[in-house]
Amino acid sequence: MERLPGTKVYRYAVLTRVSHWFWVIAFAALVSSGLQIFNAAPYLDASDKSNPARRVLSIDSPADGVGTTTIFGRTFTTTGWLGWTDDGMGGRTARAFPGWITIPAYQDLADGRRWHLFFAWIAASCWLAWLVSSAIKGNLREMVLRPSDLPKLWPMQAYYLRLRKEPPAHGTYNPLQKLAYTVVAFVLAPMIVLTGLALSPGIDAIAQPLTWLLGGRQFARLWHFVAMLGLLGFFVVHTFQVATQGLLNQMRSMITGWYRLGDHDGVGP
Amino acid sequence: MKRRLFLASTISSALAACSPIGTALNNNDAFHHLIGSAQGLNHLLIGTRGLAREYPLSAIDRNFRVNGLPTPDDATYESYVADRFASYRLVVDGAVERKHAYSLPALRAMPQVTQITRHDCVEGWSAIGEWSGVRLSDVLAAAHPRADARYVVFHCMDRDDQGTPYYESLDLKEAYHPQTLLSLRLNGSDLDPDHGAPVRLRVPTQLGYKSAKWVKRIEVVGSFSNLYGGKGGYWEDQGYEWYAGI
Repeated sequence: MERLPGTKVYRYAVLTRVSHWFWVIAFAALVSSGLQIFNAAPYLDASDKSNPARRVLSIDSPADGVGTTTIFGRTFTTTGWLGWTDDGMGGRTARAFPGWITIPAYQDLADGRRWHLFFAWIAASCWLAWLVSSAIKGNLREMVLRPSDLPKLWPMQAYYLRLRKEPPAHGTYNPLQKLAYTVVAFVLAPMIVLTGLALSPGIDAIAQPLTWLLGGRQFARLWHFVAMLGLLGFFVVHTFQVATQGLLNQMRSMITGWYRLGDHDGVGP
Repeated sequence: MKRRLFLASTISSALAACSPIGTALNNNDAFHHLIGSAQGLNHLLIGTRGLAREYPLSAIDRNFRVNGLPTPDDATYESYVADRFASYRLVVDGAVERKHAYSLPALRAMPQVTQITRHDCVEGWSAIGEWSGVRLSDVLAAAHPRADARYVVFHCMDRDDQGTPYYESLDLKEAYHPQTLLSLRLNGSDLDPDHGAPVRLRVPTQLGYKSAKWVKRIEVVGSFSNLYGGKGGYWEDQGYEWYAGI
């Protein structure tokens, strides 16, 4: 299956492309509405019921005009950014996350939940549809990290850091891409779905062991937030890579499906 | 370098655009209606199944957090508190064969059950309390709901700043759930006014706003669309989901 650099290959099926872009929209809506929901109780406890003694993160406004963020007991002044910030209506107020990053911009828990519980369906359906179709068509094989990829991880990183001239030989995706995609698709995506479900009292009544395994309801809220940070971290690295590794080729491939092979790109697992 | 600058500005403007675009869409009736459609699906899939976790005594929050509105600032309620609820009656009426008006001693004389369950507030926090009282199913069974009964509405004694009274509603399945209580006691003592004295609904399988405080009347209905804002509850009329199991 050796292909020459410059050859165009049909890399992304319609379902992959459509679910990718729907996922982008859903993820933006979920993060923004999720921060809106967080603002209603701006703290995270590693416990079942709320317990200030096990507080991992809290965002407060100890006085008018002052915002603070406390992580593992260490308090930082975050006035203007977190705790005392943009109220979404042109003013400033005691509020954990600022209005410019929440949906709706102003504080509105009911509508934040309305957005969140709708786009959760979009994001989860896209993930499932893509996962099932890729598994059936066999494309997952070229994406999943295998034991044989492990020794290639550092050489690939060294190549990105310009400590090495050539990347290790690889197929459609390089070892670091495989690592990132595997973590997102098989760790973070299921984690964010399950931790979200565990917050529902109705689901807790149906599947008590789920909430219990996560350490309780407040702990599930903490895991949900951590999974969000993980996905956000992936988003930042992913957009950086897309932009620096041939922006037009990458964007075209996720829109039309056709990707032009680069000097080091292969095809297959 | 130019490309990276272009990229950085594109990403930041895309991020900064989310909130204003989202806020504008939120104010669009058709879109707002569309995203509300998940509610029916969630109710259908999750619904009322299983039992809420019950905890040991050691898990109880002794100073159980007070949620929602403060003690009703109302002459009738104050007179009830003054006479220790001697003149209070819990009325059961609507689409039932037998209407009832229970005094507090009459409710205490019915079979009592106790549960130690977690209260999950829609804001995100949780607290654990020991609730004792009468199963709502016992009260409903005594009233014999008619064939057209679909929902149970709880009329409460508190009002907000605009004078709008608090009310809530459950479907019959949730109302007959074995853990759905008319609680009279919290953590071993009679309910105090802040926690909903003398009778508070307790629905551990849904979020806290369903657990209405200061209940004075239980009305069995076929539909709640002609009550107040028509959405089946005080918070529901303000945009919160009627099905609060999620």
